[in-house]
Amino acid sequence: MTVQRELLEADVLIVGAGPAGLACALHLANLIKKHNTVGGKPELSADNIYVLEKGREIGAHQLSGAIMNPKAIAELVPDFEKSAPLDTPVTEDAALLFTRGSSFRFPITPPPFKNKGNYVISLSKMTKWLGGLVEAAGVNVFKEFGGAELVYQGEGIGGVITEDKGLDKNGKPKDNYTPGYELRAKVTVLAEGTRGSLTKKLVTAKKLDNINPQSYGIGIKELWDVQPGRIATGYVAHTLGWPVSTDMYGGGWIYGLSNNRVSIGLVLALEYADPQFDPHAAFQTWKTHAFLRKLLDGGKLVRYGAKSLPYGGWYAMPRNYLDGGLIIGDSGSFLDSQRLKGIHLAIKSGMLAAETIFEALRTGDTSSKTLSAFPKKIEQSYIKKELWQVRNFHQSFQHGMLRGFFHTAFQQITGGRGLIDPMRAHEGHEAYNKINGRTGALGDEAAHSKPERFKGDGTLTFDRLTDVYHSGTRHEEDQPCHLVVKDLNVCATKCVEEYGNPCEYFCPAAVYEMAKESNGSAKLKINAANCVHCKTCDIADPYQIIDWVVPEGGGGPNYEGM
Amino acid sequence: MKILVVTELRQGKWNNASFETLAAAQQIAKDTSSTVSALVMGKGVAAFADELAAKNVAEVLSVQHDLLEAYTPDGYCVALKQVIESAQPDLVLFPHTYQVRDFAPKLAAMLGKGMIGDCIGYRNEGGKLIFVRQMFQGKTVADVTFAGAAPWFGSFQSGAFRADLLAAHPSGKAPVNAMTVAVSAQQIRTQPLDLFKEAKSAVDLTQASLIVAIGRGIKAPENIPQAVALAKALGGEIAASRPICDEGWLPMERQIGSSGQTVAPKLYLALGISGAIQHVVGMKGARTIVAINKDSNAPIFEIADYGVVGDIFEIMPALTEALEKAKTS
Repeated sequence: MTVQRELLEADVLIVGAGPAGLACALHLANLIKKHNTVGGKPELSADNIYVLEKGREIGAHQLSGAIMNPKAIAELVPDFEKSAPLDTPVTEDAALLFTRGSSFRFPITPPPFKNKGNYVISLSKMTKWLGGLVEAAGVNVFKEFGGAELVYQGEGIGGVITEDKGLDKNGKPKDNYTPGYELRAKVTVLAEGTRGSLTKKLVTAKKLDNINPQSYGIGIKELWDVQPGRIATGYVAHTLGWPVSTDMYGGGWIYGLSNNRVSIGLVLALEYADPQFDPHAAFQTWKTHAFLRKLLDGGKLVRYGAKSLPYGGWYAMPRNYLDGGLIIGDSGSFLDSQRLKGIHLAIKSGMLAAETIFEALRTGDTSSKTLSAFPKKIEQSYIKKELWQVRNFHQSFQHGMLRGFFHTAFQQITGGRGLIDPMRAHEGHEAYNKINGRTGALGDEAAHSKPERFKGDGTLTFDRLTDVYHSGTRHEEDQPCHLVVKDLNVCATKCVEEYGNPCEYFCPAAVYEMAKESNGSAKLKINAANCVHCKTCDIADPYQIIDWVVPEGGGGPNYEGM
Repeated sequence: MKILVVTELRQGKWNNASFETLAAAQQIAKDTSSTVSALVMGKGVAAFADELAAKNVAEVLSVQHDLLEAYTPDGYCVALKQVIESAQPDLVLFPHTYQVRDFAPKLAAMLGKGMIGDCIGYRNEGGKLIFVRQMFQGKTVADVTFAGAAPWFGSFQSGAFRADLLAAHPSGKAPVNAMTVAVSAQQIRTQPLDLFKEAKSAVDLTQASLIVAIGRGIKAPENIPQAVALAKALGGEIAASRPICDEGWLPMERQIGSSGQTVAPKLYLALGISGAIQHVVGMKGARTIVAINKDSNAPIFEIADYGVVGDIFEIMPALTEALEKAKTS
């Protein structure tokens, strides 16, 4: 069946209303306004900038720690301090080393963990505020619409097709069926965030990969209301050590927000050896440390969420321009993996993209010739400066914490060069050890014992379903599964034997489940409605046969306040 | 400009959206100094034609034919093509009904014309008519206009114009002109059957006073009849937690929980339901909760008034039998 799609034309189409996409839209609208005020030709209009956002509203899918370095937002909205929802400035920094039984504070907070001058924010609130400015500037933000397909045009891209709405489980149209729109734009900006589903397609199709593949981590977060007096507003701590073993890379965060609210979380690199390692359980275990137990005792879980983040840095940055297209924000690897900060780089990348696009619209040339100014602007900006210093940082840790500290010590004194430059990376899922034999062959009931799942005590610690409930996740139930597994046979046979179905463990939302059929064989059951859009499955599946595609718009978590 | 409004009758009654479209046509006529003709089509439509004649229109066209008594896309298109060719309107307007969606694009295509469907308004820009239609589920609107020569086809969304603003005829009555059309049975390729209404979902769990709900513990669809028998013996409804409906073992309308129904019956019997919070939020308001589960640690027992740690496959049939016995004795 060929689908008749409505066609809409725009000057600029931005996929994703996160900090990068919104900064791009706002900065471009501001440049256009200035241009028109002085009678610049041709006359341009912010009406012709479209932003797509798959969440129910702007901010619904935004999750971060979050500490924001304010330098980019200050450039974008010079009087941001007056109206931005900045929760609190950072008042105290601490780096803590956890062991099972105790914690040690580093006498001097190491420079990467220093946050003086930064703010603790809710990224969800921040983007909601930024979205308000963007809409007030005349930009059209289409909420509940995701980018499902790219429209290729010549050597580049010419737009995006939004997702079809009103399809049932089997892909058949329901009464409310509306085919996706075909949005054509002179410039399409991919600002989809971490592991963007269109970005992934584009990078593969146009071979935009850099020398390193992208590396990822997963961040699991809970927001708590705690008893008064437990933590100072603006107190920021990062933890190393327990329960993260030294052959893994990761650590925790504890941020004191105003009104006795605390943001806690654990970030782990998605490149560990044990395929049955469970990041969610590790996060829950981390909470049982005496330090956190004391902090959270008598408190209440407010919200839960999880999201992957791109660690790869400079050498994993895809080529970010082509005819009619740019890639910004997390989709474009604009994240400092040492400081784990990406918000200011996302905003800055959006602004530099806006400046590039403005020139392209003004001159009427939106080919890669004009858009190639984008990477040049990045080279000349503080983005390059920051990312260049840590260009080998994350790779150093791909073989564990100890080797990582060894390498990074050299990098610290050589401006990032270190002993090997460029240091190569491998894809995270390649790190899995095969478990052949450990859980026994399929059907061998006695040997087929899986690791016991984390249950939680219901007060301090929780199982995944309870946590997912607190993410506010909702999807239309009767729709095609948005987690497309290319070959379910692999899951039921090869993966059972070789890796013991890591999807059951790495997913922080209990989406994947190996169910037993009545004939005793295993079958993958996908609870897609639980999905919190973290993209971990797309990244960490050992066979790379899971494809995360956008579900019907509006579905997903509700990260209000996160 | 000459505007023709095609009204709609269904089973001998007006589709009221017809009057909204007529009101839209009157406004367009006023803005563009045009005339409006109203068309009614079917069998035995004289009274309806008279009703239209009382409105402010230049004329009413009445088309009668035995083969137009029941709606068929072929019959309507064959007849309307003749009407349009003879009356030569510049603009043909329809209410955007299901029936119009079915035949109007075909009619426009037969005449080699385009159609702008589901409009919510119009503007007259220096004599050029611009139609406004929604996009992105109403999040934005688009201006659309016709290219090429008349006649142009358009339909208006229900509720876009107000039928109560319809102007009456200034002198009482417009002329009613009967038009004859040639339609043969061979031209009609479809045979209308009885109209049917989609059956509303038969079950309203929110009204049920007794609910027997099953969860993963039921294991296989073959076991569901046991639970249904128990529900029947109790005089209650069968319901389920998400995995059961997800598997398609019971329809989705029987799902209880955050993504299904929220219920508060007098008695909620939870069979093999672990009690994940997603399910519990949909039933915690029940007056009395009885849970049966193999796993004594199942969270369902935290909210149950009565809990049985046991095998539902032993308990279900025994309970059903006991209930049946109690009824007959």
